[in-house]
Amino acid sequence: MFMTVVGALNVGFLQTLKLFLVTLIGALPLGLVVSFGSMSRFAPLRWLTRTFVWIIRGTPLMLQLLILFYIPGYVLESGSPWPGGESGRFMASAVAFIINYACYFSEIYRGGIQGVPVGQLEAGLVLGMTRGQIFFRVTLLQMIKRIVPPMSNEIITLVKDTSLARIISLQEVIWAGYSFLKGSHGYAGLLWPIFFTGVYYLLFNGFLTLLFGWVEKKLSYFR
Amino acid sequence: MSVLEVRNIEKHFGNIQVLNDISFSLEKGQAIAIIGSSGSGKTTLLRCLNLLERPDGGQIAVDGQVIFDAADLTTQRESEIRRKRLHFGLVFQNFNLFPQYTALRNVMLARELLAQEQEGFKANKRAILQEIRAGAEDLLTQVGLQDRMDNYPHQLSGGQQQRVAIARALALRPDILCFDEPTSALDPELTGEVLRVIRSLAERNTTMIIVTHEMAFARDVADRIIFMDEGYIVEEGPALEVINHPQKERTKQFLTNFSNQ
Ligand SMILES: Nc1ncnc2c1ncn2[C@@H]1O[C@H](COP(=O)(O)OP(=O)(O)O)[C@@H](O)[C@H]1O
Ligand SMILES: [Mg+2]
Repeated sequence: MFMTVVGALNVGFLQTLKLFLVTLIGALPLGLVVSFGSMSRFAPLRWLTRTFVWIIRGTPLMLQLLILFYIPGYVLESGSPWPGGESGRFMASAVAFIINYACYFSEIYRGGIQGVPVGQLEAGLVLGMTRGQIFFRVTLLQMIKRIVPPMSNEIITLVKDTSLARIISLQEVIWAGYSFLKGSHGYAGLLWPIFFTGVYYLLFNGFLTLLFGWVEKKLSYFR
Repeated sequence: MSVLEVRNIEKHFGNIQVLNDISFSLEKGQAIAIIGSSGSGKTTLLRCLNLLERPDGGQIAVDGQVIFDAADLTTQRESEIRRKRLHFGLVFQNFNLFPQYTALRNVMLARELLAQEQEGFKANKRAILQEIRAGAEDLLTQVGLQDRMDNYPHQLSGGQQQRVAIARALALRPDILCFDEPTSALDPELTGEVLRVIRSLAERNTTMIIVTHEMAFARDVADRIIFMDEGYIVEEGPALEVINHPQKERTKQFLTNFSNQ
């Protein structure tokens, strides 16, 4: 029985992991684009971006998932744009997560970029450096150093937030654990698999905590 | 011929006129001190010379060549401004060292980047980098930091950081080295070591513009003194004259207030 449950939970966790990774791959660069928008010198773009970020950060991700997954099917003549089955649920989840997390990341990036004193840029300019050289050789690492602690918090939150995709029945690890309560693989009424899903989160987040701790330590040689 | 000629520089921010008709010249090997109360436009003037700010009017000429003319857009091309900045060095009030590099790397970085743009860099990379390194070590020794080359800025005192910043500026061999209140951010007991370094530069006839509130230092080290007030040059003359026998009422007031503090 144990192996059956663990096998099913592994399959679920693979889906969790996939959503996590796809969200990172999409949201890390998109967040940078959004942060540039929110710092634009062109006021309309700046306010549009900031309003969008405000809406996304001010409403629950669960609501965004529901809206993105179900509403297009009601309003579009062509019906739901999402393919049927698990792949459609995954696509909708990934899009919602990427948009949501890009907005959170953008605020962190903005803090990191604006947190580097303007004197660093000016010192580089006075020394005859180009803006590109100043960015890559001087300010980038200082931004990364500032960004790592808040990013690690956000990314650990993302690991746990992936479970929200269950609201549109994405078959992630908690979905898999819960299925043994209702009946699955010939078992029903099993309570412990639900608890056991927690072990997956704990181990994975433990690993991420160590990883980010290592990165922070690597960057601690300067202030 | 003067190494620097500043003619009729004007600068305003919004409605505030910060620099009015600023003109002066500087001979090679001379040091000029600029004094004046806070807000009188001293920093803005240095920033204009280093082309961190763009003057609204006037000209800047180095070695007889106009490097900036507010009325002539061809002197303001972004691509050339970078090279023109190299005529000047600037030591900031708050050092602005690069925190992720050691003292030595701070001094070497800009020269390395410039060397990479030169023809034949690839072929002689080793020798060139070695030479830049040796030059940086010499400069750090000159400012008394031979034992601190491998320290990061946060491991250094304010006075030591400012001396690294001076070495970093010297590394590019600017024609004119500018200081913006180099000791104002320092604890009183640390100002001496920085002033000593600047004094030794003056003794070697480094061409300098020094904005400072250290009146005795300005009198002893500078050849000439400019007193600024509300964006105007009120008085200019030989250092001893201006400090000991100021001509203008405003200068007298400023100096009296100063010595009473
Ligand atoms: N970037 C700026 N924008 C607007 N006003 C400025 C700016 N920089 C300086 N000023 C104003 O210009 C005046 C002169 O400033 P500054 O050159 O820093 O004087 P000082 O260095 O003599 O104290 C001050 O009134 C200051 O508020
Ligand atoms: Mg100032």
